[in-house]
This record gives sequence, structure tokens and C-alpha cells, in this order.
Amino acid sequence: MTGNSATSEVVNAAEPKGMPSPRQIGRFALRYALVIILAVFLVTLAVSNRSFLTFSNMNVILIQVAANALLATGATFVILTGGIDLSVGSIVGLSGVVAALFAQDDGALTCAEAVILGIAAGTAIGAFNGALVAFARVPPFVATLGNMTVASGLAFVASDGQPISGLSDQFLALSGTIFGVSIPVAVMVIVVVIAWVLLARTKFGMHIYAVGGNPQAARVAGVNLRANRFAVYTISGFLAGVAGVILAARATAGIATNGTGYELNAIAAAVIGGISLAGGRGSIIGTVFGFLIIGVLDNGLNIINVSPFYQLIVKGLIIIGAVFVDSVMNRGDD
Amino acid sequence: MSGAAVAELPQPASEIAVGCSGLTKSYDGVPVLRDISVTFMRGTVNVLAGENGAGKSTLFKIISGQVHPDAGQLTLFGEPVRRFDARHAQGLGVSIIPQELAPIPDMRVWQNLLIGREKSGFGLLRRRQMIEEAAAMMEGVGLSVDPTLPMKRLNVATTQMIEILKATSRQARIILMDEPTSSLSAREVEQLFQVIRRLRASGVCILYTSHRMEEIEAISDTVAIMRDGAIIRHAPTSALTERAIIADMVGREITELFPDRQITESDTPVLEVRNLAVKGYKSSVSFTVRAGEILGLGGLVGAGRSELLEAIYGMRKATGSLRLDGRDLPLGRMKESIRRGIALVPEDRKLSGILTSLSILDNVTLPHLDTFTAVGFLENGNRRSKTLDVLRRTRVAYATLGQKVGHLSGGNQQKVALARWLVTGTPRLLILDEPTRGIDVGARSELYRLINDLAAQGVAVLLASSDMPELINLSHRVLVIREGAIMGELKKNELDQEAILRLAMGRASNDRQ
Repeated sequence: MTGNSATSEVVNAAEPKGMPSPRQIGRFALRYALVIILAVFLVTLAVSNRSFLTFSNMNVILIQVAANALLATGATFVILTGGIDLSVGSIVGLSGVVAALFAQDDGALTCAEAVILGIAAGTAIGAFNGALVAFARVPPFVATLGNMTVASGLAFVASDGQPISGLSDQFLALSGTIFGVSIPVAVMVIVVVIAWVLLARTKFGMHIYAVGGNPQAARVAGVNLRANRFAVYTISGFLAGVAGVILAARATAGIATNGTGYELNAIAAAVIGGISLAGGRGSIIGTVFGFLIIGVLDNGLNIINVSPFYQLIVKGLIIIGAVFVDSVMNRGDD
Repeated sequence: MSGAAVAELPQPASEIAVGCSGLTKSYDGVPVLRDISVTFMRGTVNVLAGENGAGKSTLFKIISGQVHPDAGQLTLFGEPVRRFDARHAQGLGVSIIPQELAPIPDMRVWQNLLIGREKSGFGLLRRRQMIEEAAAMMEGVGLSVDPTLPMKRLNVATTQMIEILKATSRQARIILMDEPTSSLSAREVEQLFQVIRRLRASGVCILYTSHRMEEIEAISDTVAIMRDGAIIRHAPTSALTERAIIADMVGREITELFPDRQITESDTPVLEVRNLAVKGYKSSVSFTVRAGEILGLGGLVGAGRSELLEAIYGMRKATGSLRLDGRDLPLGRMKESIRRGIALVPEDRKLSGILTSLSILDNVTLPHLDTFTAVGFLENGNRRSKTLDVLRRTRVAYATLGQKVGHLSGGNQQKVALARWLVTGTPRLLILDEPTRGIDVGARSELYRLINDLAAQGVAVLLASSDMPELINLSHRVLVIREGAIMGELKKNELDQEAILRLAMGRASNDRQ
């Protein structure tokens, strides 16, 4: 897997070659604790439950994961710069409602136009977040918390608090398949690959890490802090817009509350994947593990009939465990 | 981007690299720079000398485009500067090495070196090419570091060299160095000087601040002395004496930087260290510090002195045994160490010495809050009067007790860090780790006097310092540490720079015979 080879490169570069010491093995085990736990969980499920390890269930997991994957990718960009975006859940609702309003089967606008407008609504809120953080210097937590409420309010106003249904067949087809592949899954894969290339292989990505790793140093090196901060919130809003449109198509309606609480799942995926909330550390590959872990857990716990209430507790503990591992690993470095 | 900007410029007709005329800057009505008019030529090394707060950093910030002057004109290579913007200045060939190290710890060495000068093809980074370029850059100055290592794995000195390399490699024509040597050992300083000489030969104009007199003499062509935001004097280094420079800096003659050693040493051991092995080091050490003695710890950066001191203080894991005043001191129990009278003024005062966002009062009394608590409440009257008293004794310059320590100058911050251990009486053992790093001459001299007075009162002092004159003139005895082990002991009459360096670099002290 790409993830493993990239990470083992890191380990090799950092530590002297030769037989790994018990300490190194311990650190390795800790670093991949979540992956190991996930693997054990998967195997147990697969052995004990016939319906888990089937192609159709895997497909179901990927479809369920797709929206969170987009949000988590956006969260990765934002958190890498040392910021946070709490507004994406509300943006999902808003852009779903906007897209649904213009995707009625009366045919006033084409499906493509409706999709563009929905995504544009999300991007606009994201750009507003970015402007507040980058130019007005409002702390990200406050700016995006404010816009979480604003976006939610806008969605209620636009939908009058009612689900917007009666969507065109073309629009509903967005939750279907193309060439046998689920469209949400295809979008997810494309977005993640582009995000990986941007973050790991371009100047833009390097600058994002620098902004989060040490803003002062980045500034002295000629990195444009404002432009980069503005960009990441805009990207996050854009991806939340895409997620909102996809979810509206899946729900066959634009609903203002459709994304409530999703921002926490997105942040959790990034954090579980090792994106440091302090900024400047982590990789999108970790985020992929993060949202897959959350998706598999949700699905698996459902299959074995764990009450959704207990699922919340499990998920919360896993987030804490992930951050704990992160802090232990870094303590060793200092 | 920056390359294009350089190419557009006409070849510098003027030999003047930096021209300032009437530069003025105030913050909140407080003047920081007053009417600065000075010129620095191409191919010269110029030291800006001055106490902390004299305005050196602000002048650097204006030249590097980070700060807009209130009035006056800056010209670079004869061209008047109208836009004050860091990127613009960089385009003009100005590079700055800030005093506070500015690495990006989670990024790799090659990324740190080449950030802002990425090479891309079709929108993608040319990684391999960049890594090779970084390796070549480091090889050029004799650094052998794997460019793919994360920056945080490097020690302070290597990090500093990388930062210097980063700044000097950007087609720089003017390089500003703010105390570049404050964390370097003597050998690394010499490496740095070689880099500087090469840059000077290629026509680069270098501005340099330093608190170390011997460096000023070794490297500079001219010295500009700043005091209270103004340039008092700008003259060739050869025309100035150390005494004259210091006198101009402080505005008064400092007759003796180092106080007379007062030998009140007794034979009473205060701290007995037996076979102490710090976690991560193979060797163990044994030594004794007596009452009234200043025991110096010499060695190169990274020799393990800080770690040893932290182990004695109980901050770091170690094995072996410690006795304080004849009684066993448990290892790794910081609270117990403090209670028994061990005081530590750590190396990095911003990280672990003081809390910059807290007030002077809180900083001074933080370790003693139990003493100032009666029936569960803080006795603020007592706390204030004791703090006022100790601040007077340590000569801290401050406005109010509620002032945030972060707003004090470096020297005063360090005095506060020391003052906190003198509030409730004197400690038995005072541990000082690089106590004057980045501190100006005036404050230094006062700190030396304080340390000396404490020793005269019978306090045992452990002093780790990379500043040779300080180590030699203050210590009664010096242990030289290398890789966590004691390489040798030098008595007062054997103390000289060369002897210390020999031991620090792993040679026997009697090699020279």
C-alpha cells in the first residue's frame, strides 16, 4: 500500500539501519496501534459474521464513507495549517438545500447548473471562513463556529425548514453508478488522490505544511500566509459543498439538517489518521485510514447489533486513543 | 520569482549596499529608532553592537521589509525602498537569520532549506533534484547531514547552521544575522566565520549582532554602536577597543565585567554526585560541589551538560546516587529537590525558565505558593512585599509587579528567573545553565555580581556555560564534559580557553607537553 511504503521510508531515514531495538518495535506497534486494532476487528467480524465480508457490504461501507471522506480531506488541509473548520456540517445542509432548490424536475435549470450552484454555496461559505481567518485574523475556531450557525440559518431560510424534494431523475442519479462504479465512491477516490498529489508533491502542499509547522519561518521564507490560509478554508468549503450535493441526491431531498454533527466526524477522521491539531504534521494517507476506521466501525458495530448509543462511546474513546498515541510518539522525539 | 526580481535590477553601480537616512520608528509612542543615518558597503562585515532594546532588531526588521519605518529613507544598492514587504525585500536580495531559530521541525531538512525556492515541473515538485541540491548546499560548508531527516532530529547547533545556510543561499546580497552564534560552540563559530568570509569575498554585505566581544574583533570590518534607538558611533573595528565599545554601548564605563572572585570556599560538601548516569548516555559521573564554590561545567554544545543538570534537579531520568548536605537525595523527584534547596535557572528561559504570559509577581512566587498560602488562600500582601524586595536585590528593571514577563528585555527576564529562587531565602545549590545567553553586557555584569555574591554567602553554584570568558572568570574549578562523561578537571590556575577546548574535543589535557 502506498501509505505503508511512504511511512517506512520515514522510519528508515530517521533511525539507524540494522536490527530494530525493542524500543523501536514498541514505537512501531504504538504508531500502528489503530491499524492493528482495526485489522483484528475486521478479522473477527469477517469470521463471525457472513454478511460483513461481502463485496456488497464493502461497497456499502465505501458509499457511506464517501461524504465523510470529502469533509475529512478538507479538514486535513485546514488542520495542517494549524486551523479548524467547524462549519462543514452546516455547509453540507446548505449546499444540499441550494442544489435541491434548483434541481426540481420542472426543468428550469439543468442538473449541472444545480450542482454547480450547490457547490458554489459551500465554496462561498468556505471563502468567507478563509477571509475571516486570513485577513480579519479572527481565530479559526470562532470564525467557523459563527459560520456554522450562519450556514445553518441560511439553509433553514432557503428551505423554509422543509425538506426540498421532487428532484429531477438526473440529479437523483448522482447517487447511482457510472460504468458500474458508485459515483460518490468515484468522487471520493478522485478527491483523495488529488489531495495527496497537492499535499505531498507540490509547492502549494509544502507551503501548507510550512504555514502550520512554523508560520514565522514560513513568512521569512517568502510563503504567503494569508493566501494559503484563505485557500485551505475555501477548499474545505468546496469539498463540503460537493458532499452536500451527493448527500442530497442520496436522501432524494435537500434537508437543512442533513449534515448536523458531520464536522466532528471529519475532524475525528483526520485526528485518528495522525493529523496533528497543532498543525504541520500528518499525511492525507493517515486521514484515509481515519475515515475508513470510522466507516468500518460504524458498519461493523451495526452488523453485530451494537446499540448506536454504545457506538458513540466507542468512537469517542478511539479518538482519545488516537490523540494519546500521537502525543506519546512526539514526547519521544523531544 | 525572486530570481526574476534579482535579474531585473541593474548591476549595482553603488558600492553602498545599505543606506539609511533619518530612519525613525516608534511603537505606541515609545521611540525605538531615532533618526538612524548610516551606510554599509558591499563586501563588508558590519557588527551592530548594543544592549538588548537598543533598536538592533527593529533596524533589521526595517531592512528586511518586515516593518515600515515612520519616517526616513532606506536605500538598497542605491535604489530607494518604497514597499516594506518581506517578500519584496527577499526579491531585492535581503536575507535575515532571526535570533529565535526558525526551523519547521516537522518538515525535512531539504524542505527547510529550499522552502520558498521550490523547483517544480508541470506543477509537481522536483523532489529528487531538490534533495540533491540541499545535499550539495550542505556539503559546500562541510555539513554532513542526511537531507531527508526531519528537522527536529537535529541538535540546536546543526539547526542553526542549516538556518544560516538557508538564508545565505538565496542569492543573498545583504545578510542580516541576529546573534547567529548564541547557540554555537567554538568550533561551529569558526565554521560560521568561514562561511561569512566567503560571502564577504563575493561582495555580500553582512550585518551581524553579537554580544560576544571576541567575535566582534575576529570577524567584523566596522562596528556600529547603538544605544537607546540611535547609532552612537560607526567606525572601523581596528579603530575601536573593546573597552570603548562597551563604554559606548552602556553609556557608562564598565570597569570590571567580572567581579573579583571571592574565595570563601569551605570544605563542607553541599552536593555529592556518585556514579550518576543520565538516561541516554553511557558514561556516569562523580563529583562534589562545596559550599561557596562555583563549579563550572565546560564542553561543546550537545556534550550532555544540560541533561546532567536536569538529572540533578530531578527533571530527567538517571541512575546513581546524590547526596545533598550529607543526606541522600532521591533521583527524579523535582519537588523534593526544590524543597531541599536546589534551584535551577534553565538554558532555554522561554521554554522552561519563565512563563512569559504571566506577571512578574506570579513568575517570582510560582515555586513558593505553598509558603505564601495561609488557610488555603494566597497572602498577597506578603507575596508582594517579598517580591518587591527580591526584585530590588536583583536589580530588575520593571514598571509594575503585574507587568507580563514577556515584555521585559532578555536580561531582565533572566534576572526574574533567578529572582524566583531568592524570594524565600537563598538556595543551597544554584544550578545555572547558560545564564547569559543572548543577554547584553550591562545585565551580564549585574548577573555575574549576583552569582558571585551568592557564592560568597555559601551557596554552592553549578554553572554550565559555552561562553569561555564567563566560564573562566567566574568558576573556581571547571569540569569538562564530553558525551556525558567528565573528561578532566581544571583548577583555577589551569583555566584557559585552550585547555578547556582540548578536553571538550576529546584530547588529554597534557597533550601540549
